Amino acid sequence: MMDLTDEQRALRQAVSALLARPQRRGPRDRSDGSDGSDRSDAGDRSDVSDQDDEGDRGDEGVWRRLCAEVGVTGLAIPERYGGAGAGPVETHVVAEELGRRLLPAPLLGSAVLAAQTILATGDGAACERLLPAIADGTAIAALAWTTEAGHWDPAEVAFRAVPAGPGAAGDGWVLDGTAHYVLHGDRADVLLVAARTPDGIGLFEVDPRTAGVRRTAVTSMDPASRLAVVELAGAAGRRIGGCGHAALARARDLACIALSAEQVGAAQRALDLTVSYTTTRVQFGRAIGGFQALQHRMADLHVLVESARSLSYGTAAAAAAGASYDSAPDLGLRAAAAKVYCSEALARVAAEMIQLHGAIGITWEYDAHRFLKRAHSTAQLFGQPAEHLARVASMLIEPQS
Amino acid sequence: MTQAPAGAAGDPAAFRAEVRDWLAGHVPAEPLPSVDTAEGFARHRAWERELAGARLAVVSWPARYGGRDASLLEWLIFEEEYHAADGPVRVGQNGLFLLAPTLFAHGTEEQRDRLLPRMARADDVWAQAWSEPDAGSDLAAIRATAVPVKGHRKGHGEGGGGWLLSGTKTWSSRAAFADRAFGLFRTDPAARRHHGLSYLLFDLHAEGVTVRPIRQLGGETGFAEIFLDEVFVPDSDVVGPVGDGWRIAMSTASHERGLSLRSPGRFSAAADRLIALWRRAGEPADTAGRVADAWIAARAYHLHTVATAARLAAGGTLGAESSLGKVFWSDLDVALHETALDLLGPAAELRQPPDPDGRSPDGRWPDGRWLEGYLFALAGPIYAGTNEIQRTLIAERLLGLPR
Repeated sequence: MMDLTDEQRALRQAVSALLARPQRRGPRDRSDGSDGSDRSDAGDRSDVSDQDDEGDRGDEGVWRRLCAEVGVTGLAIPERYGGAGAGPVETHVVAEELGRRLLPAPLLGSAVLAAQTILATGDGAACERLLPAIADGTAIAALAWTTEAGHWDPAEVAFRAVPAGPGAAGDGWVLDGTAHYVLHGDRADVLLVAARTPDGIGLFEVDPRTAGVRRTAVTSMDPASRLAVVELAGAAGRRIGGCGHAALARARDLACIALSAEQVGAAQRALDLTVSYTTTRVQFGRAIGGFQALQHRMADLHVLVESARSLSYGTAAAAAAGASYDSAPDLGLRAAAAKVYCSEALARVAAEMIQLHGAIGITWEYDAHRFLKRAHSTAQLFGQPAEHLARVASMLIEPQS
Repeated sequence: MTQAPAGAAGDPAAFRAEVRDWLAGHVPAEPLPSVDTAEGFARHRAWERELAGARLAVVSWPARYGGRDASLLEWLIFEEEYHAADGPVRVGQNGLFLLAPTLFAHGTEEQRDRLLPRMARADDVWAQAWSEPDAGSDLAAIRATAVPVKGHRKGHGEGGGGWLLSGTKTWSSRAAFADRAFGLFRTDPAARRHHGLSYLLFDLHAEGVTVRPIRQLGGETGFAEIFLDEVFVPDSDVVGPVGDGWRIAMSTASHERGLSLRSPGRFSAAADRLIALWRRAGEPADTAGRVADAWIAARAYHLHTVATAARLAAGGTLGAESSLGKVFWSDLDVALHETALDLLGPAAELRQPPDPDGRSPDGRWPDGRWLEGYLFALAGPIYAGTNEIQRTLIAERLLGLPR
């Protein structure tokens, strides 16, 4: 774990304290004594989000406070656009805490992916117009980018854009296509889309309430993931910046880095809960956590989580040090490495969590499955680990490409 | 290492450039003969003296002992450059990385003045004498004894007393050719387990010492068995208080497992060589992922170590978490070498590969060294406390699981 500054530590404490406040609890936490004996076996109860039981009202409240009291959405947005002018490490600290709680918050999709794409276009007018509301959390932004194949490839985008005809007003464009896996796409106030234009990849702002826009929430296996399909049929759009390829590549790197912090947070929490459970669960007259067969598996998980944390934070620090993309030419390589390693770390910890818990790990009641599902959904976001591993291999041949 | 002041004066980039330039001009073009042969040992000792002459042998030590007061981060820079340049194995590593930190923490001024400069120049090459035939992972089962004696011995000054060492030590790296050794001995026969042990230094050429080299699976005598029969040690060669040897040894153990013994530069350089090998093999798709995994893991270890160094520089201590690094780098080393052998295919089987071009781009890395490296890597999960012992330490000390 890298050394955080005093301000970064204070930020972590503020977020952690806010997330730890008593929330609206789901039915399982109001349970009477009838299942108390099972509960005692569960050791330290996790305080992960309960969004699947009663909708997302409780989490919405937490999120609003995180925006209003801590300003989490504005951390990595420059002050001139209404943000705090901090950077990737501050976002990282928040993402790790959100990851611990499996909170389905729009940090990743709005404040990181969409906001950083807008910033990376270098379009000052668009930044002034869109970023202040994203920074203070009053608007949620979504980037509709990838096709059903889900590659998040900057060269392979879901939409086509053509300039509006001569009769149309101003410098408008017309967009068509269908994007999948759009984070918070069904409820976003600001809709950003990536489209192929006659002159390459372009980025566009589309009013989500305009004609030709259809947004459909999809049910995902991971309750902490909120995804939508965004369809555009002749929808009007406004272009942001010039060539969008570099902006998408940069935003993907930053999103992979922030996501790795969420994965580290979730993996740490999954391990903590497993240690806690095996310390209290008694069989053969002793806590099962005293058996070497289990101890060594948890020791390996600890090695994995700690190395993942070092890689994740070290990569965020590298992103922070390279203020512009050009000054950190291997950021893509580092980000891909973090995505691969932290995805695999969380997947393994979550899978082991279930096994080490035994039968209770198979129940809906207990939270182990939520970590497993989070592991799966985060591994798919922004490109699968195998794709990023192939990118790492190809970049190792030509490190500067 | 422990004496390194946080943020010593100096420009890290200038330091890196100096180290790189010096190594480029001095690292032997052809690899030295194996350190575990008589000739190779002598050549490696001469190399250590060359390093010491450039004040590069012990950069993190205080200047009065031959160092430069470099910070821990600068030491990591030195290591990165050293491994990238494929510098020779450090024949003095047991002394430099294990005994020296112990002397800095627990030795007397007199011991440091007497022992450290000679160690830095490789006048004395040290071996570690901890394990015994019946005390391996269970180190506290040590049976070798140190019995107090009155009076002095020839060559050990007037007055004062000393100790007579008896017993058997084994798996002692470099002992076949080294000069001196540091070990744990039972000074209180009534005390059990880790109580009543003391940390003593002895001369491998003293009367009563018999060294029997042990041939390793690579064919060379990398370690040895040491038989001790009433070997005299003066009081001045007891490190720390009598009876406190376990605690003192464990402080060395953290260094052995942690960043000092296997710095990340070693694995970053190995990962880079693996990438070069993979390119030469035509970038086969079926190994691409494993090569990339090795690079990512080396990078994770680098970042983890830099973070640890920053923590230590800020006043933190290195404790049980050193077990974490040990498990990580030893498993990484084995996996990395297995990938290299798979890339080489049947050629990996040959100690002298027939392909004259079978070398790393800088010409210094004949393919045969991957096999040597692999055989050596197999020892990684065993020495410095087996990985099974480390996992138990992690479980109990770091995760707080019940004993």
